[in-house]
Amino acid sequence: MAIERNYYTIDPEGKLQCLKCRVPLVKGKAKFMYLDNGFPVELPVCPVCGFVYVPEELALGKVLSVEKALEDK
Amino acid sequence: MSQIQERGSTHVYKVNRISKEEMDGMVARCVYEEPAFCNAACPLKLDTRAMLKAAAAGDFKKALQIYEKAAPFPLILSAGCEAPCENKCRLCERGDGIAIRAVEAAVSRYGQASRLGGVFRTKKKKTVAVLGSGLFPLFLAGELEKKAYPTTVYCEQEDLERFLRSAAGFLDGEAFQLELKRLKGKDLAFVFDCEIDEAFLSARRDDSDVLCASEEVARRLFPETAFDPALMICEAERLVTGFGEGVMNAAFGAKKAALTVDRLAQNLDPRNMRGSEGAIESRLYTDLTEADELRRIAPAGEAYTAEEAAREAKRCIQCHCEECMKSCAYLKHYKKYPGLLSKEIYNNTQIIMGDHQLNKPMNACTLCGQCTVVCPNGFDMAHVCAVARRNMVSTDKMPLAPHEFALMDMLFSNGEAFMSRLQPGYEKCRYVFFPGCQASAIAPETVKAAYLDLCERLEGGVALMLGCCGAICDWAGRYEMQESTREFLLTELSKLGDPVIIAGCPSCRKELAESVGGEIVGIWDVLEEIGLPEGAHGLDRPAALHDSCGARGDAHTQQAIRSLAAKLGVTLVETEYSGDRSPCCGYGGLTAYANPEVASEITARALERSDAPYISYCMACRDRFARQGRESRHILELVYGTDAGAPPDISEKRYNRLSLKKELLWELWQEETADMKLDYELNYTEEARRLMDGRMILTDDVIAVLNDYRETGEAILDSDSGLMIARKRLGNATFWVKFTESGEDAYTVHGAYSHRMNVVRREG
Repeated sequence: MAIERNYYTIDPEGKLQCLKCRVPLVKGKAKFMYLDNGFPVELPVCPVCGFVYVPEELALGKVLSVEKALEDK
Repeated sequence: MSQIQERGSTHVYKVNRISKEEMDGMVARCVYEEPAFCNAACPLKLDTRAMLKAAAAGDFKKALQIYEKAAPFPLILSAGCEAPCENKCRLCERGDGIAIRAVEAAVSRYGQASRLGGVFRTKKKKTVAVLGSGLFPLFLAGELEKKAYPTTVYCEQEDLERFLRSAAGFLDGEAFQLELKRLKGKDLAFVFDCEIDEAFLSARRDDSDVLCASEEVARRLFPETAFDPALMICEAERLVTGFGEGVMNAAFGAKKAALTVDRLAQNLDPRNMRGSEGAIESRLYTDLTEADELRRIAPAGEAYTAEEAAREAKRCIQCHCEECMKSCAYLKHYKKYPGLLSKEIYNNTQIIMGDHQLNKPMNACTLCGQCTVVCPNGFDMAHVCAVARRNMVSTDKMPLAPHEFALMDMLFSNGEAFMSRLQPGYEKCRYVFFPGCQASAIAPETVKAAYLDLCERLEGGVALMLGCCGAICDWAGRYEMQESTREFLLTELSKLGDPVIIAGCPSCRKELAESVGGEIVGIWDVLEEIGLPEGAHGLDRPAALHDSCGARGDAHTQQAIRSLAAKLGVTLVETEYSGDRSPCCGYGGLTAYANPEVASEITARALERSDAPYISYCMACRDRFARQGRESRHILELVYGTDAGAPPDISEKRYNRLSLKKELLWELWQEETADMKLDYELNYTEEARRLMDGRMILTDDVIAVLNDYRETGEAILDSDSGLMIARKRLGNATFWVKFTESGEDAYTVHGAYSHRMNVVRREG
């Protein structure tokens, strides 16, 4: 089974809020998918509507480097 | 919005758009790896260039190590060698060639001998016997020692000194003593006082694996037998031997003989696998224009001192062909000569599973063709990269990410922003003006002025077509899109009655000539014929003319532009690399999208040629130079007295195209187009605009995200920054917008980012 990776921690907890549901985001299960590959990850998720948040530093850091690695496969 | 299908990664196709043979033929054009002329002339394959480089740096130890690879007894060789290298030195064409032999003698004298033959080397199992004395047995023993064969020399002399004297009696006292010391240091066994006759030879045949003899011994014992001078062997007797006179002959003979011994010791045919032997012709190209030290350093005494030898070695221009790398910032960036880079790029296209590590270099070439002009053999890196890109697209291995923005921009140009109309009042037009997508994006006022001028001064009607010529998908290697663009343009042109195309950009002209064909002229040709419009004037200070890569090999266009500049009263300053040798501005080949870092280096290189303002005749060039802060004008701006001003960002480029279309449709054809107005207020911080331009995020993308937010209310609030963050998946990427809300209908965007990976909630 693939290892779940957590690249982001909500600090302090509760600092991110879902505007639609008016509840704090919590650590939740999500999946990145790209070019027929899937990666289970843990990301801030709204416990009510399921909005998955990808923070900027993650998108431009780890996510971008994995994208580039997959693109050249 | 149209979308381009992202590739899958599970299927496997094998496509070869270029055969291995064709590739090898192309690679062979690159002479970077050819030996220097001195090196090629040396039968011993001495890397003279490297030796001189080390000597020039005063590193005589390293120089001697290089020399010893060719000559196990360097002082003997430098004293007696005929030095065929010296005549081949390219400096002879301008003055005195390098005194290579004299430098070698100094290197042999002042360098520190290598200690290769130490006890720690693993010796080979097969043993070799060398019979007789003289130069050939001495050199052969030296070569065999290098190859780590346990070698025994059997000679008539009673000691080592006499053995050496029989070979190199011509050496002076000090040199002789040095070589004697060197010989003593070698891992060789000697048996003195031998009487070499048939019985002796036959005994050696029994106790050693390979038998070698001097010419004297071989001829004395086997006077009737034939010898093969190529292999240095008397095959009938299985005896390796040497021939000929002179130091060089003996040294070269010893090299060939040592190789024969090697093959015989392994029970292999000595004829095979010998590689290249002896002197060869080099195909290297050397630029002599910068050679300035043309006179030999004269030694104060009889021979060079170490310091004199270093000075003489420093005169060596280190023949290398780097013509393309001198001029091309892309090749300079990757620090690889085109022969090697092409091989690697070709191999990159052949990888089915695994990393395609050359994708980036393959997509960083501007396909401008400058290398082909500056290369003495016409190496065509652009062809290699273009074919490789198409090959990667064919096998579905080409990532979409580097080119998607540009391709989407092309679809925008030929979709939403496209327009094609006959001149008002005409049912058929003799001409159609095709300014090109970049002109409409960067200088819409200039396009409008040019069109109005053409309408007024040309007879027969001038239609207008705003769109992309297809260069974008051609550069991206997307041949299927290229074909559909061609069909689209053909249909649109046919609707206009297939008029003569007046291209506003040399790259469009080139692309259209190759795709839709028909009669195509440049607007510069038309202006040459009808003259300048009123009010046209040049710059009041000298300017540098940057030739577009689309006009490479097109002397007619280059000349027409110069003539226009002269009529405008522009004083042009001469620049290095102009005309056919002009570098790319960094936009070509989609480098600016696929590899902004290399593109910036290419632009900087193009700007290095002059400090003057730049005049170009391709709008992309104008934009690249202006973006780097240089005063940059398109020649049509001077012709029409317009000023496109500061370079627009990527969103403004789209806006400009749409606005131009809307404005012209209304003013000339009285057609109204839907308003682009938003029903809410949207502002951007300066930082947000800057980030968006760098990250290739359009205002349209931001609007799509905010529209979605207004509809669904989905967003998060980051209490740290107080910013709201909403997202939307658009095509192959997810866009995130950071914003604040003031009231219900006003937003300020503070930042935006995107990622291509799709993210979903996972259950369980």
